[in-house]
Amino acid sequence: MRLRSIRLTPYLFIAPFFAVFGAFGLYPLIYALQLSFMHWRGGSQARWVGFDNYLFLLTNSDFWASLGNSAVMWLLIVPIQLVAGLGGAVLLADAKLRLRGLFRVAFIAPFVTPIVAMAQVWIVVFDQDYGLVNYLLNLVGLPDVGWLTSTAWSKPTLALLFLWKTTGFAIIILLAGLQAVPGGVYEAASLDGASRWRQFWSITVPLVRRSMAFLVVIQTLAVFQMFAEPHVVTEGGPYGSTTTAGLYLYEHITASDLGTGAANSFLLVLLVFGLSLVSVRMLRPKDGVS
Amino acid sequence: MTTSPIGRRGFLKGALGVGALAATGSLAAACAAPGGTGAQPSKLTTPAASGSAAKGEITIWNRSGDLFKVFDAAIAKFREAHPNVKVNHQAVDIDAKLANTLISGTDVPDGSFWDDAKIGGQADHLFDLTDLIAPYKDQTSAYKLSVNTVDGKIYGVPWDLDPGLLWYREDILDSAGIDPASLATYDDLLAASRTIKEKDPKTRPIHLEKTPFLSQLWLEMLANQQGTGLTDAQGKLRLDSAEYRRIFTWIQTAVEDGLVTHAPYLEQADINTLDNGQQVFVPWAIWWSFAPQQLLKNTKGKWRAAPLPAWTPGGARSGAMGGSSFIIPAKARNPELAWLLYEFLCFKEPGYTAVYGPNDVYPGGLSTSIPSYTPAADPAKPLFKPIDALGGQDLWKVAVEAGASIPAAAPIPAWWAQSVDYLGNNLQRLMEGKMSPDQVISESAEKIQKNLIDRS
Repeated sequence: MRLRSIRLTPYLFIAPFFAVFGAFGLYPLIYALQLSFMHWRGGSQARWVGFDNYLFLLTNSDFWASLGNSAVMWLLIVPIQLVAGLGGAVLLADAKLRLRGLFRVAFIAPFVTPIVAMAQVWIVVFDQDYGLVNYLLNLVGLPDVGWLTSTAWSKPTLALLFLWKTTGFAIIILLAGLQAVPGGVYEAASLDGASRWRQFWSITVPLVRRSMAFLVVIQTLAVFQMFAEPHVVTEGGPYGSTTTAGLYLYEHITASDLGTGAANSFLLVLLVFGLSLVSVRMLRPKDGVS
Repeated sequence: MTTSPIGRRGFLKGALGVGALAATGSLAAACAAPGGTGAQPSKLTTPAASGSAAKGEITIWNRSGDLFKVFDAAIAKFREAHPNVKVNHQAVDIDAKLANTLISGTDVPDGSFWDDAKIGGQADHLFDLTDLIAPYKDQTSAYKLSVNTVDGKIYGVPWDLDPGLLWYREDILDSAGIDPASLATYDDLLAASRTIKEKDPKTRPIHLEKTPFLSQLWLEMLANQQGTGLTDAQGKLRLDSAEYRRIFTWIQTAVEDGLVTHAPYLEQADINTLDNGQQVFVPWAIWWSFAPQQLLKNTKGKWRAAPLPAWTPGGARSGAMGGSSFIIPAKARNPELAWLLYEFLCFKEPGYTAVYGPNDVYPGGLSTSIPSYTPAADPAKPLFKPIDALGGQDLWKVAVEAGASIPAAAPIPAWWAQSVDYLGNNLQRLMEGKMSPDQVISESAEKIQKNLIDRS
């Protein structure tokens, strides 16, 4: 009896976690997976349709267009953010930098600002007829640009909002990576006559690759789940040019097409999982560098 | 103690197992199947008690804002007649919350305000109100009954009617020598617009809507005028028809002749062109009356309302644009009491007078819609007052007479909002001169059929 109670005790301690995880994590996941093989609009009895929802999505131009929109957003955001984030991190890591505290606050402020508030600011600033940006363009004799109303400019404008909002986060991640690099490595390189630029390319970049890989994975997830920005600023328009994968998924749910929505979410999981794997492999530190 | 992490091969085996289970449907046993019982929705019958004999508590959902305050005051009137009924009147983001609440069946209200366009899609979760509406059916707008009817059963208590009207600048028409009464058809409207543009080349007289959703709602108003709509009572698509082609061709002509201001509804660009004389005609629902009352400065008092032109000589002079009703969820705890409230607000004189008549929120009365119950919509008995911002015009009379001519429609399909991605967007392309009427019809119809109707 005593032996049995001793064996059970650890399980009793971890049981609350598993109960909560099971109820709010595992059960909804299995339920959603089941739902993805059903046709259900929230009303009458659900109908088992096998892979029909998946086939519908995979043969639907709107689904691929939403992925294409997210892919373009990814290209406009992640590479730029890696460069800008690393630049900002190197700047903030410099002990000689004046007003470093002020810079840190400036970089992190957008990250802690509610996205919906910022999206509203973007609507005002980039309005085609009365926005600040076009007003400034007009001052120097340039014509109005449809930042949010033309298919050519809508994605870059939203990407800029995303960059403005999250680059502070990228800087924090990369700064943490930079601060883990031993100072002695740079001293040795200086003694060997390596320039600052050479030190950056041969020491800084290789040694923060793990942080960069982490950042790419996190931001890939964020870009493919991007919802608030297009929902508030452009409502997915013009002509669906900013209907991201996340927004397209949301449209199924709001239309009570729950089976298709669930299937869409699992396809997104697979896609993001694959992209993350590729990113991690590409940015994996080479042998001998840890 | 050592742990043995799951190997890649083991993980893949597990994943394949799950996939195989899913493919064969075995996972259905893992948890309860989603969906209801498939039983027919409940039919609500006449409450046993009313007046002071009615007792209990109900929770009612409404949108926030001024309308909530209006209904709050009207509910106070209801409680005078039903002192033992307690009403928890809640302001809720209905668009975000109601459908999910109905599906989950948790914390369901006893009644809620809802867009007509949403009701048909959730009929399974609502009480069938056919028997309760029956005494009022013959005196209710045919349009409102039709959009609340699914398979012959009525699921919403018809509330407001939103007739389309032709809003116009009286002073500009005067100076151009155009009699508003002469605008009997849409061709007359084009001719008048050309005359105005000849006199003042900077005008682009006719408002065309720039947002896909509202432009499609506007299109449906013009279709409803001709007795049609996106689908028929059986859900068959009616886009490829003479009526829609007539509308699209008219839009194309107006655009090609440079007669339109393409602007988003009452956003700054729209307000500026309304206020600077560029826009002269706004064919829009009665709720546009909000603009001269609240938003316009330079042209306040210069706008007037008239019936819409007809598509064919002698045709209907209005169509409906939007509208809402009240629903009673099938899982409501006190549905009979909710019905008593909605019956009072929609069909009883003290109720609809409290809603539409002068009140603390709108001292002149609620003038952005009219009642759909015809005894309440009597041209000789205005519920709201003439409007100063319309030069003292009796909007009530114009609106209820226009509303009386609105043809019946078919239930609004559950996928209507999703179709905006196709039809609303293509309508915008037509307005920008990038698509022809035939292209709008064929491309929109193909996508709607394939992606929405075939999967509904």
